[in-house]
Amino acid sequence: MGGDDDKRGGRGFGRKKVCRFCAEKNASVDFKDQATLKYFVTERGKIIPRRISGNCAKHQREVAIAIKRARGIALLPYNAVVG
Amino acid sequence: MAETQAAKRLREYETIFLVKPDLTDDAVDKLKERVRGIVDREQGKVLRFTVWGKKKTLFPVAKQPRAIYVHTSFLGSGKLVAEIERNLRNLDEVTRYISVKIADEVDPETRPVLEDLKLAGDVEETRPGAPAEREGGGFRSVEAPDFVSPDAEEDAPEEA
Repeated sequence: MGGDDDKRGGRGFGRKKVCRFCAEKNASVDFKDQATLKYFVTERGKIIPRRISGNCAKHQREVAIAIKRARGIALLPYNAVVG
Repeated sequence: MAETQAAKRLREYETIFLVKPDLTDDAVDKLKERVRGIVDREQGKVLRFTVWGKKKTLFPVAKQPRAIYVHTSFLGSGKLVAEIERNLRNLDEVTRYISVKIADEVDPETRPVLEDLKLAGDVEETRPGAPAEREGGGFRSVEAPDFVSPDAEEDAPEEA
């Protein structure tokens, strides 16, 4: 627990990540909201892990489900070829 | 109607379906009416239809690069959803659909029926400042500026 913090400080990335959906009270995860979900997938279309996106567990779960739903109706890619 | 108060609680669902892009507005309206008919028949209540218009899909759907999106929210039972999905499956014009439950136990009286909406969809050729208007290099530059996000550089080492 404490060790995690130390490691983080040691590597020089002290930036605190906050879950966007927790920070904004009225923000909700919506699979129709292409613009927001885009933020949580890579260029290639993969879901960005929690340790990088900074989402809390609850919202990451919701985001992951929303992304998968959005893929089903072609709002997000399953696999986008980059370059 | 003749049912007791307790049985009047319905669930709220939303359904989105994709329609082939070459359909006319009339044909889309016909589909809308068909869905509306099913909801009425099963004692549900349509809250709103929104036609999102023709949008670019992120991958080809039914060999087409675009599709018309139709969104509808309604109150009803699980049986109604099954019936709607069965119908959508049988329609050749509908290429994809998804239904999601939004809320449990909604009192139909408290939810007003909203007017149908029609959105413009993606505007293709005349987007102001679109890279396509600049000379040369049309396609490649369309995608590039959009995807420069802070995630990009963090993600790069993993994929490399």
